[in-house]
Amino acid sequence: MKTKRLIGTGVKLLLALLVAAWSGFPILLVLISSFKRTADIFEFPPRFVFMPTLDNYVTLYREWPEFFGKLFNSLVITIGATLLTLVVTTMAGYVYSRYRNRLLTTSAFFMIVIRMLPPIIITIPLFPALNYLGLIDTHILLIVLYSTFYVSLSTWIMKACIDQIPRSMEEAAFVDGASLTQTLTLVTLPLALQGVLAAAVFVLAYSWNEFLFAFIFTSSNAKTAPLIISEMLGSVTGVNWGPLFAAATLQIVPILVFVIAMQKYLVAGLTAGATKE
Amino acid sequence: MKIRWPHYLMIAPVQSMLVVIILAPTAYVGWLSFNQSTFGLDTSFVGWQNYAFIVTDPQFWRAFLNTFIVVNAVVYGELALGLAIAVLFASGVPFRRVLISIVLAPYAISPVLGVLMWKYMLEPDVGVLNYALTWLGLRQLEWTINPTHGLVVIILLSIWMHTPFTFVITYSAILAIPTVMFEAARVDGANSLQIFRRITVPVIMPSIFIALMFRYVVAFRIFSEVWILTKGGPVWKTETLAIYLYRYGFRYHEFGVASATGWAMLLATLLIAAYYFRLMYKRMFVYED
Repeated sequence: MKTKRLIGTGVKLLLALLVAAWSGFPILLVLISSFKRTADIFEFPPRFVFMPTLDNYVTLYREWPEFFGKLFNSLVITIGATLLTLVVTTMAGYVYSRYRNRLLTTSAFFMIVIRMLPPIIITIPLFPALNYLGLIDTHILLIVLYSTFYVSLSTWIMKACIDQIPRSMEEAAFVDGASLTQTLTLVTLPLALQGVLAAAVFVLAYSWNEFLFAFIFTSSNAKTAPLIISEMLGSVTGVNWGPLFAAATLQIVPILVFVIAMQKYLVAGLTAGATKE
Repeated sequence: MKIRWPHYLMIAPVQSMLVVIILAPTAYVGWLSFNQSTFGLDTSFVGWQNYAFIVTDPQFWRAFLNTFIVVNAVVYGELALGLAIAVLFASGVPFRRVLISIVLAPYAISPVLGVLMWKYMLEPDVGVLNYALTWLGLRQLEWTINPTHGLVVIILLSIWMHTPFTFVITYSAILAIPTVMFEAARVDGANSLQIFRRITVPVIMPSIFIALMFRYVVAFRIFSEVWILTKGGPVWKTETLAIYLYRYGFRYHEFGVASATGWAMLLATLLIAAYYFRLMYKRMFVYED
């Protein structure tokens, strides 16, 4: 009986290792290869123990100096989109949680429907319109676009979170003469911090990684890191893998660390966004 | 507490963003799909002509077929893999927290970087995977010249990127099943396979349905992965509907045809999501005062 259970655990561990290899190996390969000499990048089987070198990072800095500016663009746009989303959806989530009438329910249902529309459709009329307004290739444009595509999910997450906070907390604040703004920022918001974090994970990961809108609506000024990496990857003179891996590592590490640190909120947000009312 | 005008003001930013940036442009595209429109010429009404054009264009149907194949392969591939991982983890594995982190990791990866990884692993002759295929005596994946292989790579990398979502939904659903149900089945002498088929799957079916619906909707609009890997080539053979739309809108500047494609995609999406909408509608409007 004991041996049988031991074998069972062994098989499970083996399967778990296979799963980990499938999910983690491609990422690990990129991170590790960024510290290899060019000659060793395509060595087979790939080695995981070697003398690391920063050559690729130096080459990246020399041949693609603009990469670092684009990485900074990504940072600015990501922070902007996240802040905008959190501010507007905390307000909306509060109202949807505390009040209910036909107009509110209809507008909430509208948000569910609109969340399904394919984003590429809006690029057709937006391109000429934004061109006319001089908004093409600006940071603010991407901030607003990214935020808009995540306000539905984010409002949903905030509502689900505020639903858990007893109304009596706010009522007490109102009785004490606090204004709506004071109550929201001093009473509700600190208690809704879990929801804020859960909502932030999604819009942050999306804005940091998005390709389609950045590809269509930017050309140089507001270009983001994924876009310049895609250009390095599509180079007609042949891909120079060394500096490309260095760029990829710099793009991946911050978001990977963040998502893993926020794992709990990611799981909570995904289940709330998909399955809850 | 009675609702007052400041409360409506609080939902105004979210609602106006959605109306101005998504609803209005989408409606405008609907109007544009009945017009001939390009740079430098006046827009003129042409009725159903754009729709007639796409339904008689073999390249549109090729893009439709590619999308259909990719979406189904990706969605069911992910379901099989995500559910398998969920069942494995729920049955208790050592180092579970670390393993969950690793399984969720692809969620943090940009489609651009996903393509980079798979392209690197599948470089002709030298990439690890292609090298391993040759070593095993199998054919290499010639995704740059063979459209079928190109689609296979797109399917593989999409499954890799989106398995975290299906995993999380099914895993949470399994963890929510009361353990007494499993214990009772064990006492009655059921084996693991019977428990999976008779308890786990039926109980989490609603969650599986919702995970499938969301993945169908999102996979259906696939653009970035295909564009970065193959640009729809060789000769548009790996095009999906979103790439076809892009080609007509941004390469040929035939906005009417692009708009008709966009609305065809929109209607298909709404059809896929109809069941979910009905479900949410019933749940939301039941509390009506």
